[in-house]
Amino acid sequence: MSRFISKNKRELVVFLATLAMAAAFTIMNPAFIRWNNILTVFQQMVLNGVLAVGIMFAIITGGIDLSIGCTYAITGICVAWCTVHSVNPFISIAIGLIIGAVLGAFNGFLVTGLKLQPFIATLGTMSLYRGIAYVVTGGIPVTSVPDSYRNIFNGKMFAGIRFYVLVMIVLFIVAYIILAKTRTGAYLYAVGGNEEAAKLSGVNVIKTKYIAYIVCGACAAIAGMIMLASLGSAEATAGTGYETNAIAAAAIGGTRMAGGRGSALGTFIGALMLAVLKVGMVVINVDSFWQYIVTGLIIIVASYFEFMQEDIKAFMARRKNK
Amino acid sequence: MAKAVEFVKINKRFPGVHVLKDISFSVEEGEVHALLGENGAGKSTLLNILHGVYPEYEGSVILHGKEVHFKDANDAIVNGNISKVHQETLVVKDLTVGQNVTLGYEPKKGMFVDFAKMNSDVDAILKELNCKFSAADLVANLTSGEMQMLAIARALYHHSNIISLDEPTASLTLKETDALFDVIRKLKSQGVTILYVSHHLEEIFQICDRASILRDGEYIETLDIAKTTRDELIHSMVGRNVAAVAGRLRPSPRTEEVVLKVEHLSSGSNFEDVSFELHKGEILGFFGLVGAGRTEVMRTIFGADRKTGGEVYLHGKKLESAWNTTKALHAGLGLVPEDRKTQGFMALSDNTDNIAISSLEKYMTGLFVDQNKKNKNAARYFEEMDVHPRRIDYLTRNMSGGNQQKVILSRWMSAETEILIFDEPTKGVDVAAKAEIYRLMEDMVAQGKSLIVVSSELPEVMGLSDRLIVMSEGKITGELTDKEQYQEDVIMNYAIGGN
Repeated sequence: MSRFISKNKRELVVFLATLAMAAAFTIMNPAFIRWNNILTVFQQMVLNGVLAVGIMFAIITGGIDLSIGCTYAITGICVAWCTVHSVNPFISIAIGLIIGAVLGAFNGFLVTGLKLQPFIATLGTMSLYRGIAYVVTGGIPVTSVPDSYRNIFNGKMFAGIRFYVLVMIVLFIVAYIILAKTRTGAYLYAVGGNEEAAKLSGVNVIKTKYIAYIVCGACAAIAGMIMLASLGSAEATAGTGYETNAIAAAAIGGTRMAGGRGSALGTFIGALMLAVLKVGMVVINVDSFWQYIVTGLIIIVASYFEFMQEDIKAFMARRKNK
Repeated sequence: MAKAVEFVKINKRFPGVHVLKDISFSVEEGEVHALLGENGAGKSTLLNILHGVYPEYEGSVILHGKEVHFKDANDAIVNGNISKVHQETLVVKDLTVGQNVTLGYEPKKGMFVDFAKMNSDVDAILKELNCKFSAADLVANLTSGEMQMLAIARALYHHSNIISLDEPTASLTLKETDALFDVIRKLKSQGVTILYVSHHLEEIFQICDRASILRDGEYIETLDIAKTTRDELIHSMVGRNVAAVAGRLRPSPRTEEVVLKVEHLSSGSNFEDVSFELHKGEILGFFGLVGAGRTEVMRTIFGADRKTGGEVYLHGKKLESAWNTTKALHAGLGLVPEDRKTQGFMALSDNTDNIAISSLEKYMTGLFVDQNKKNKNAARYFEEMDVHPRRIDYLTRNMSGGNQQKVILSRWMSAETEILIFDEPTKGVDVAAKAEIYRLMEDMVAQGKSLIVVSSELPEVMGLSDRLIVMSEGKITGELTDKEQYQEDVIMNYAIGGN
């Protein structure tokens, strides 16, 4: 237990802050703690959580993927088209995953093959993918998605928990296992920690980066398909700006923007914190304009604490020695 | 002679460690005074106190008879007339030489920078230092030797009469080193006091008057260089006798079996037509001056850089054209890079992970990497290589140079590499750790491994290698197949491209 605490101190601090926030909301409006509202928090965090777990992979390698909101939109549109044209829903989902992986792989190609800066490369594909979404739909939403597809994600399991919440949790668990337990995980951290040293240790840097961007694209696709199931329609403007929330969740959870550090648990708690904040502010009737300001401040404060970690550690060590 | 610097009972503590213990000694005006000790002896900490980098310490620093206490490094440069030239010179590459020298203290005309005065002032200093570049040149175009001169020019711009040089020759060519020594002698004749830190003992004997020795944070003694032998110096630094001269203690296990064959290898403008063979059980030396193309040859063989011509054969098998470091690793080829910090270890990883990264398939339990197996492996090599401190959970970046090198060596030992290439294996490594690394190399060849040792230190390659290849300007200019042929002047002649 104590080893778990010392190894995940960063995550624990953010988790305690999230609990404190939830407690504050509950005091201001006891309705916050009702089961239905807690379900809302989890439903609220699903899209951002799934996007965040993907972008975390890109960030850990020292990269970034700004195009996830657009991959999300394209996948939604394509899968909607498939289901509307009576393609088997499970085959549609497989097609959606492939689209996400291919769009992610193209980002990987730009970053490794053409050696572009990830920020610039995905800034380019962000516009490119969004443009494709508009061209394919002609700007008209795809509607009337059949229930046979929607029920796969929307179906309730027990206690009112929807199936897509389970999908998100499974994704986080898989991400945790990949990062903490597999060779691929070790290579991802090594590439982000020092790319040249990783290469000179025999790590296949190119393959590792491809994996990161493909995972990132596939996660964006899953988010797009969940969105499609819950709305029943898809449009080209979907997901605009979602990449920023995903980055925020990863950053609050302790993912190092320069690469080399980040955990599934941390990103989960980061996404949870943002969802608690969003739902909580609605519950206590904060004006929606002010919600932006509060969210911004929370992100800044959380990153500051993240940044302060080393100082705090040194301070504690000094006190111990006295 | 008057005293330029006096340290009186200096104590410095970091959280949990007492790094300097009652250090007292003095440096006389106009002398070149070496500060010697192993990695972690406290040299850098003492210099940082002298130069105001660590304003908190106990005891007193007296400059020219007056006690000083600098607020920060800038205060020391501007008000104390005391400058430090860093190991890795700190420059802004996109500015001119003049702007770098005067940075923060540019001559002004009203509100604006007076560039004419800046350039003439700086050019005067550069002329004094016999520099071939001028104040208007861009720093990006300078060699590392010239950047070193720029740093000295900056010290002179601030009228420094005490200058510390921390490993100034680490990345200099022989010619640049000679030029630097000329400048040091000139400054000395003008009454400037020089504090000199270096692991190269040859340099200490060439340029220094006296040497103060630190060991484990304690002051040991100050020696008169003219009356001291090399062995006495080393004994004082290490506290025991060490065979610091590179040499083979056991007979060479070299065989006739060729494990690596390089034919007409070329890579753009870096090097061309390089051919050689490596035998099983052999230590093959590669000597050359900085910039001779040795590093590039090794990186290309290892798959880190692309070749543009020629072939490499491993155990008689031609390497595929899409060669990369991962394939090299699986084929039993390894490289210990020159710069540990930027190329060697992952800064955010602990020792266990830095050792395990090249051999993860060894620690699998089912589909997953087993932390216990990784730890066990790291602990085994820490014991075998006598790494200090014995902490596999420490971040590698917090270890000393010699121990970092042992971590990288453990990585390749864990990967069970048959052929290992060392690029400057003892750069920034202290005397005792050097001897241990030489011993490990002998262990490796005794186990049937084959080594290539690239080095700019002539005594090192001469002492270690079974055969010696010399490169100059991207080409092999000489090969010495017999120890009897090893003569410094012959090798140097090859290295400068002569015949």
